[in-house]
Amino acid sequence: MGEAIVITSGKGGVGKTTTTANLGTALALQGKKVCLVDTDIGLRNLDLVLGLDNRIIYDLVDVIEGRCKVHQALVRDKRVEEKLFLLPAAQTTDKNAVTPEQMKSLIDELKREYDYVLIDCPAGIEQGYKNAVAGADRAIVVTTPEISAIRDADRIIGLLEKEDIEPPKLIINRIRKELMNNDETMDINQITLHLSIDLLGIIIDNEEVITSSNKGEPIVMNPNNKASLGYRNIARRILGESVPLMTIEGEQKGMFKKLISIFSK
Amino acid sequence: MKKQLVHIKGTKEGLVLRLDDQCAYAELVEELERKVSEGSIDGTVDVQLHLGNRYISKDQQQQLVDIVQYTGSMHVAKMHSDVITIEESREKLLTSQSETFVGIVRSGQVLESSGDIIVIGDVNPNGKIEAVGNIFVLGNLKGIVHAGIEGNRDAVIVASHFEPTHVLIADQIEVMSNESPFVKNHVEQLFAYLNTDGIISYERLQEVRKIRPLLSTVKGGS
Repeated sequence: MGEAIVITSGKGGVGKTTTTANLGTALALQGKKVCLVDTDIGLRNLDLVLGLDNRIIYDLVDVIEGRCKVHQALVRDKRVEEKLFLLPAAQTTDKNAVTPEQMKSLIDELKREYDYVLIDCPAGIEQGYKNAVAGADRAIVVTTPEISAIRDADRIIGLLEKEDIEPPKLIINRIRKELMNNDETMDINQITLHLSIDLLGIIIDNEEVITSSNKGEPIVMNPNNKASLGYRNIARRILGESVPLMTIEGEQKGMFKKLISIFSK
Repeated sequence: MKKQLVHIKGTKEGLVLRLDDQCAYAELVEELERKVSEGSIDGTVDVQLHLGNRYISKDQQQQLVDIVQYTGSMHVAKMHSDVITIEESREKLLTSQSETFVGIVRSGQVLESSGDIIVIGDVNPNGKIEAVGNIFVLGNLKGIVHAGIEGNRDAVIVASHFEPTHVLIADQIEVMSNESPFVKNHVEQLFAYLNTDGIISYERLQEVRKIRPLLSTVKGGS
């Protein structure tokens, strides 16, 4: 019996879909059987980030309304051998086409076959959110260091704490080290203390995340990238390993630069 | 001789009508009507009604007041009864009790209390506490707090880290964006109260004992 993890944030555009795609791929690379479920019905895009958009035949609503079997709707990712599958969202209807009960039974069915079921939650706290959370055992809240994202994360954590699931865990996405080091944004410690939930990991902002998403290839496929390392670390923590938090310091200063910085004080 | 059901006594503050608490209510009303119409008083006089161990409803209270004030020469200043209903007593108990909340009041959540409330944890921005009594936050207060929501102007708001966005006490509201420099520079261990002019003021929480000494509920000790 696998585990269902919902990835949510409250605010839109903080990187739920990118996180879902990358964590799913990272877990699959670790040898786990993973199913990604896009619950953003009407605004699907997890398939694009994974580069699977042109292989969709059936979608989540087709499964729920009985037009096809679950395995017919699942799209297999060929890059990760028989490990990574996607259940795409429907594009032609809206979020009210599904009820939380239907969602729960669907996720329960998937959990029997997969080690991890990652549920990509839509932004907001309405029907779509309720559907996405219904079948989950655990929750991951994604935020960025912006106060608007943190405020919405706080709200969503409050809602998640009322659900019958484990306490949610936090991912701080899109960290801009120069802003954080200059106290222009809240730092990791402040955000974690403010939201007072466990920190699962941090992702440093990186342009390659966007360019590689545009190519339909999650950044974790590239092992030599800081953001990719962040996602791989988080995947290992989900699997129960203890991995130290990466530092957000800039490039190591050389001896000469260190001397200059001492004298320039 | 028949027992008198209404005793009239003169005091410095005016007349005291002591109403018998054993007879039937109808008899009492009848005798009160007679007694009140008998007397002839110049001007108006304040009257206190003592009901003893009789419980009367709101309607009956109004009826008694109407009877006494019918002649226009008497004004009911006070009505006193030695008994209250169990429900009223329960309400009183609730407002004098303090509740404890362990956790974090997050954005969009409202924590309500019918008495005092102690929060062991933080109140995050957009989180709200509404209490009939006082509010004590043993953590970071960064949200909205409303003490004395039913009009208790003696209610206070105490926090170990005092940085709320809105402070409300009884019917007064203060938006903290134009906060006083005092609050900005002393966010640690502060409390808010209504001063004698009815304006929300802030002071170090050590000053509570001087400004609201009656807040203390310690029993025993030496």
